[in-house]
Amino acid sequence: MTSEAAPAQAFRHSGKFIDVMGLAAKNALLTLLTFTLYRFWARTSMRRRLWSRVSAMGDPLEYTGTALELFRGFLIALPTFFLPAIFVYYIAPLALDPGTAGWLAFGFYLLAVPLIAAARYLMRRYQLSRTHWRGIRFGLAGSAAGFAFASSGWTVLQWLSLFWYTPVSRMNRAKLLWENARFGDQPFEFVEDGQSPQKDLWWPFALGWFGTAFAVPTVFGIVLSVGLAYLGLDAVASGEQATEPPPNFIAGVVIAYLIAVIGALLGYLLVWAPYNAAAMNAIAARLSLDGARFRLRAKTFSLFLVTLAGWIVTIFSIGLLAPIAGFLQVRYVINRFEILGEPRFAEIGQSIVSAPNAGEGLGDAFDLDMGVGVI
Amino acid sequence: MRARYADGRAAITRETECTLAADTLNFIIGETRAEWSYADLARADDGNGCIILKRKPDTGERLYFESEHEAELRAAAPNLFTKRARGIESPLIAASLAAAAYACAAAFLIGVPMASGPIADIMPTASREQIADISWSQVNALTDYCDDSDEAARILNDMAHRMMTAAQVPQRDNVWITIVDAPIPNAFALPDESIIVTAQLIAMAEQPDELAGVIAHEIAHIERNHVLKNIVSNMGAGIFFDIVVGGGGIGQAVAVASVNLAGLSYSRDFEREADARGLDYLDAADIDTAGLARMFDHLRTAAEGDVEGAIPALLSTHPDTATRGADARARSRPGLAQPLTEQEWRVVRSACGSGGGPALPAPAAAQPAEQPEKTPPS
Repeated sequence: MTSEAAPAQAFRHSGKFIDVMGLAAKNALLTLLTFTLYRFWARTSMRRRLWSRVSAMGDPLEYTGTALELFRGFLIALPTFFLPAIFVYYIAPLALDPGTAGWLAFGFYLLAVPLIAAARYLMRRYQLSRTHWRGIRFGLAGSAAGFAFASSGWTVLQWLSLFWYTPVSRMNRAKLLWENARFGDQPFEFVEDGQSPQKDLWWPFALGWFGTAFAVPTVFGIVLSVGLAYLGLDAVASGEQATEPPPNFIAGVVIAYLIAVIGALLGYLLVWAPYNAAAMNAIAARLSLDGARFRLRAKTFSLFLVTLAGWIVTIFSIGLLAPIAGFLQVRYVINRFEILGEPRFAEIGQSIVSAPNAGEGLGDAFDLDMGVGVI
Repeated sequence: MRARYADGRAAITRETECTLAADTLNFIIGETRAEWSYADLARADDGNGCIILKRKPDTGERLYFESEHEAELRAAAPNLFTKRARGIESPLIAASLAAAAYACAAAFLIGVPMASGPIADIMPTASREQIADISWSQVNALTDYCDDSDEAARILNDMAHRMMTAAQVPQRDNVWITIVDAPIPNAFALPDESIIVTAQLIAMAEQPDELAGVIAHEIAHIERNHVLKNIVSNMGAGIFFDIVVGGGGIGQAVAVASVNLAGLSYSRDFEREADARGLDYLDAADIDTAGLARMFDHLRTAAEGDVEGAIPALLSTHPDTATRGADARARSRPGLAQPLTEQEWRVVRSACGSGGGPALPAPAAAQPAEQPEKTPPS
């Protein structure tokens, strides 16, 4: 690597909200009009838009994937995933005895754990293989089956540990993904410095865990109680008095519940924001490309606000404008991403990792988040 | 004009000077002279402020121009500034997708209901019973069986059997009516040819012929296999949503709902058919169809007083109750005897501990008094 530092702001996202919003609205409309078949074209155009606004060392990224590749993945998933799924969920309950049908459905659910992990790996592989910078392609080597096997084991450990294994599994997954990631013929490294990768994650995770277990339900209960009391419905709701419910009884209870749910969601986002910020920063800090290191400056409250904004847009648009949430998150990460040192770009050649010719069929079948997933 | 060139073999760019000829873009890198035909170029920038050109098929090579050169490039190679060159799909794509989507929707949402009859008719008994088990589990979860309703149920079953025998209904020996206690007045047929009647519906009826009208309607749903046809149609819709939308659970939710009680509401066509056929049964058994008309009156009154929306879903899919009532009234034959004796009606009215009811008031005086929330028979 060269010794000189990279430019002051090596990474920059120049995406304009209105620009992305217009494309997201057009995509949402066409997606609705086509019973969601347009989603492959929508994803492709949105990725092209988001990628092209990310510049590294002054040159933009480029997304070269096509909607037909995604559509081909969907067509491949039809016989390989949907037909077995239709048999398990629609035909078997009628054609087989209930016990067999139940076990079959249970087995399918169990199989979904590694399948979803594999789907995420394959999605990452497809997206990286369609990402270019200065004409050089990114890539993801390694085996989706291997990742699925390892990831499923970590998932089981998460369940068995009441999710206290989550920081370890998150770093393990990041390590496996990034060690297989390539820029051209140059592999990324997940640097081992002798210290536990998740050592800075335990306190933020504990805050999220205890917050979810105790604080969020408490907030929900308090807000609901206050709401019902304010509406004068507490006695009626608890059945303590045999009074006639007021005319706005149902509306009042619904509003009180809604406020309580919103309060609980806000609490949930808030208690997990420190962990998410710490995990993103920890992963970035361990990345290396040809000796150059990276740094991410994600902060709790700014990440909370960005995530909240994304949720609000997604919820109020019933998911149709979800790409806006992706855009906000990508812009947040890119504008806080730094490189320390500079790789020897002149010696990084074209990628030799083979690129898939169809994309994301399994991820689409599971309706997985097609977001960008920068880190 | 100045540009930067990336050769696709290393992650660096080099300065170069480009010239624009009639059909080609020319530049020199080192000692190599490159000549790119405009027709073989595509954009790689998505309008991000600079102009990036690449070759077709992609060799990894890129030429970067500042936006100030756009006018010259546009004049020389207008094909690089069309929507298509920038990767924006033709409106024909969206139109084709919409056509394909609507064709798929038609195949599943219209074709499957059309095929639902034959599919439902050939459905094995074991499958029919499994679906019925699911429906019964819902009935058991949402209602209470009335221990004291056996005699009342026998009376209703005898009345139903008389109607079915008179109308030559093939399933007359399989249909069985069960009375349950439930929060709402309702009657519905299950896939195993059972009919559920709630005590609250019985309480709503003021005369036996009103209840007979509802039961005749449900028997017609059974005779015409509407229950299974409905389930097959809903499952077709579920599969359609699952495949087209992806595995978001919408399709499974639709399919699950189809075999639950919520999925037992019928299309308007099925309701009209059941109305007409039910009136045939009543006629054949010499029961006045005006009873069913009065039941529709009760329903309309209940719907008008339904300020809290307790009767929303079924009415919305049913044909207009006024029209249905008028159809039933048009076939009325006044003066026919009630299908149950006063004593039998008293027993039926006392099912589920409701303590009996009024003794057969005159039809002309039959106006709904204070009624509980009502749901029309489905």
